[in-house]
Amino acid sequence: MFKSQNLSFEYAPHDSNPPPLTLKNINISIQTGEFVAILGHNGSGKSTLARHLNALLTPTEGTLWVNGLDTKDPASTWGIRQSTGMVFQNPDNQIVATIVEEDVAFGAENLGVPPEEIRRRVDDSLAKVGMLAYASHQPHQLSGGQKQRIAIAGVLAMRPSCIVFDEPTAMLDPSGRKEVLSAAANLNKEGITIILITHFMEEAAVANRVLVMEDGEIILDGTPREVFSQVDKMQALGLGVPQPTALAHKLRQAGFNISPTILTIDEFMQDETVKKILKGQANANN
Amino acid sequence: MQIIETKNLTHIYNKGSVFEKIALDDINLSINAGEIVALIGHTGSGKSTLIQHFNGLLMPTLGDVFIAGDSTGDKTKLKSIRQKAGLVFQYPEHQLFEPTVYADVAFGPTKMGLGQDEIDTRTREALKLVGLTEDCFEKSPFELSGGQKRRAAIAGVLAMRPEVLILDEPAAGLDPRGKDEILSQIQKMHTELGITVILVSHSMDDAAKLAQRILVMERGRITIDGSPTEVFSQGEVLQAIGLDLPQISKLMNRLAQENPAIQKGVFSLDAAAAELLTLARKGAEK
Repeated sequence: MFKSQNLSFEYAPHDSNPPPLTLKNINISIQTGEFVAILGHNGSGKSTLARHLNALLTPTEGTLWVNGLDTKDPASTWGIRQSTGMVFQNPDNQIVATIVEEDVAFGAENLGVPPEEIRRRVDDSLAKVGMLAYASHQPHQLSGGQKQRIAIAGVLAMRPSCIVFDEPTAMLDPSGRKEVLSAAANLNKEGITIILITHFMEEAAVANRVLVMEDGEIILDGTPREVFSQVDKMQALGLGVPQPTALAHKLRQAGFNISPTILTIDEFMQDETVKKILKGQANANN
Repeated sequence: MQIIETKNLTHIYNKGSVFEKIALDDINLSINAGEIVALIGHTGSGKSTLIQHFNGLLMPTLGDVFIAGDSTGDKTKLKSIRQKAGLVFQYPEHQLFEPTVYADVAFGPTKMGLGQDEIDTRTREALKLVGLTEDCFEKSPFELSGGQKRRAAIAGVLAMRPEVLILDEPAAGLDPRGKDEILSQIQKMHTELGITVILVSHSMDDAAKLAQRILVMERGRITIDGSPTEVFSQGEVLQAIGLDLPQISKLMNRLAQENPAIQKGVFSLDAAAAELLTLARKGAEK
């Protein structure tokens, strides 16, 4: 789906005093159907990379291909933007219409999709994010989580093969976060590639691949288990790990043989050593 | 000494119209000087409505609010109340407007009509309290990072030397490092200045890190009022009203179901590890 070769990017290349590279020599390949979480501090280059994935930005050096199309080729831009949709952080900045279904139809209308087809796509997209009942509501009366789901439906109506989420839950309350995340996970099950930029380690843990960015480079790339089992490294980066992983790590440091790959509460509960501790049968260093 | 007291506080939006909504329903609350209190509840539970009563931005439909003994209904006291209770809104960095960080922080004291020396003293003191160094003073607020901007905005309120600092979602939308920075600064301000801090948050983890007392709001009422451990041991109640527990409390509550010797409601990583290690040690002694 995405492949980059020596992708570098700077924001002001013609400045006499250019700021340091925002992206440095990124080589990455993402397959169709993957669910990739990108972690990193503000300023690490996550959003800049995300904006390359649908040609909102193009590489200063190197190349990025989306489904085989070079993002630098202006003739490919519209095809790329149709195949890769974006959902941003602030739900209020993404709503353009005064009625939910009109908002969802906006992208598809601009692609020149025939009206009957738009009708079908809008209903279908709203159903997929569980918002069909709100089709004729006014967006400003919805909760943050609902607004984000409308934004997702708007992207879906363009029939993309990938959706990039740039911190979609940062401004939401816990129930809104759950709504948006489960919508993303469901779309992934239907084969849509999901790229999720997030600061919440628990959200990253549900992806099937995690990329960690620092200073414009990808410094870790692996399954959530591979990445989060490097507890000391993640903590040194100031990113942290899911809490059950952190607790397991502490107990391991105290000499208990608990699995280093625990990510969730359920996994913690099922660990053999944890079971022994609960029964009062565990010793350190066993 | 009570710094904030509400008596039968009720607030009704759009009273008498079809949109009438009871936002606060007979709230009796007292907060002592020097407390650090977290106010938790999901969107629409009344948190923001409540804090806007604390500095007289909203007036009770019924009942009274007293700040350091003065009723917010007393117009002659309103100015001093607003100076005593400093309110930092959500995303306060959107409200930075002066050309330099220094000028932005000096705005409040200037409007209070203080002398030039006093303005300078307070501005520097406030910037120092939030950990912004001299080299930031003459920068444009827009040159700062997200976390720094937010701290500059908080400094603007601190420069007015409030007795109560009310922060609405101070950590929302920041990356993990920015979040840690802001929360530890708040902690530090509380210790160093001895001021009362009221923190509104969706995040149980943030509340758990800072607060000595947690108030849970639901449908305009305060439904739980207690220490973090007391509140977090009531997992079912919180989840029934759509609130999440800190991950560690969730895990510890699950473990406590297996072994009642484990204390419910534990919320910090260190306390959780200590609890499990004690249990293991007791088992080994048997």
